[in-house]
Amino acid sequence: MLILEFLVILFLFSIFAGIFGSMLGLGGGVVVIPVLTLLFGVDIHFAIGASIVAIIGTSSGAASTYIKDKVTNLRVGMFLELASASGAIVGAAIAAYVNSVALELIFGVILLFTLIPTLMKIGEDIPKSPELNGLSKRLGLHGSYTETDGRVIDYNATRPVAGLTGTAAAGVVSGFLGVGGGAFKVLSMDLAMKLPLKVSTTTSNFMIGVTAAASAGIYFARGDVNPLIVAPVALGILLGAAIGARLLLKTRNPTIRKAFSVVLALTALEMILSAMGVQV
Amino acid sequence: MNLRDPESMSVVIGTLLRYGVVLSAIIVIAGTIRLATASGLSDTNGLFAYSADTIPHGTFSLSVSGFFNGLAALDPYSLIELGVMVLIATPVARVTASVLLFAAERDRIYVVITAVVLGLLLFSMLATPFIPVFHG
Repeated sequence: MLILEFLVILFLFSIFAGIFGSMLGLGGGVVVIPVLTLLFGVDIHFAIGASIVAIIGTSSGAASTYIKDKVTNLRVGMFLELASASGAIVGAAIAAYVNSVALELIFGVILLFTLIPTLMKIGEDIPKSPELNGLSKRLGLHGSYTETDGRVIDYNATRPVAGLTGTAAAGVVSGFLGVGGGAFKVLSMDLAMKLPLKVSTTTSNFMIGVTAAASAGIYFARGDVNPLIVAPVALGILLGAAIGARLLLKTRNPTIRKAFSVVLALTALEMILSAMGVQV
Repeated sequence: MNLRDPESMSVVIGTLLRYGVVLSAIIVIAGTIRLATASGLSDTNGLFAYSADTIPHGTFSLSVSGFFNGLAALDPYSLIELGVMVLIATPVARVTASVLLFAAERDRIYVVITAVVLGLLLFSMLATPFIPVFHG
């Protein structure tokens, strides 16, 4: 394959990854990694290095629009970053000593189980907002944003400690495997903290850049960030994220949840298969 | 703009992220154009081979002096690496800005929270490359 062809095809796939990654609060690694390994025969290490860059691009590329539209909850994001950043360090630190197959299998199965409560909320538009009390009140974990149809949605967060725990798991997964962190972040806010889905996906999008940056050092130092591969990925992802950010506000919550459920199932499957030795 | 106004947080952070992304994209585009014009019609054969024994594992240069010499010569790979570094720096700049903005708002809890996040982030970026990797 010519370098030029490679650049163009990978750029187009990355636009797609950027669009749906930015809308679902994920990094787009679930698209970028299999495209690189299966389609182009790129080594998994380079694929993960490219995925880290893709995550940062999805995050920074869409976040400015989400922040301007006030969907992202900055306080919730910054509070949960405490857990995701700590988790990422733990994940990177234990990578040398823990059996990666076992950990991948455990997290894959956990993700698969979170499909049940996620599917039970299918069709839900805006969850009933819980009472604001305790730690959530002290930390100001509440907000409001304007929905597609002009309704102003006021919401409160609940169970911040459960949210922190889930986000710590997200950090461990990202630091350890380089992927999968976004799904755990969205689930922590959606299932544990009862935030509206768009707030959960955009706040996850806001946070994943920090988690990925935390582990970028190791991939850069090891030489896993291959310029030839990351250039079209970064450019495609940034363009896709800009498009996705504009699409999200026009999309209804139930549609986002359906798409999220499909990707959740695929991510879980990818992790379980990879643990069983099938590299995708 | 009054930095003590909580509204300024979203304006400053949003603008910071936008500038970081645009700057990074411009540099990566420049590098990609150089790459495409210099070797766009050569084959990708062997370029994705991963050699576990060498650092970097690929066929590209990684040394600090090589990077700066490459930048001076507008080497495509060095330009792309610089653009990617700018992209990686955007979340770091964002967390740093939020510490300062919460300090301007005199929001003590969030100054502490964001300062701890910044510390964890910098520690992780700078320290994790030195953790031995056995399965890499």
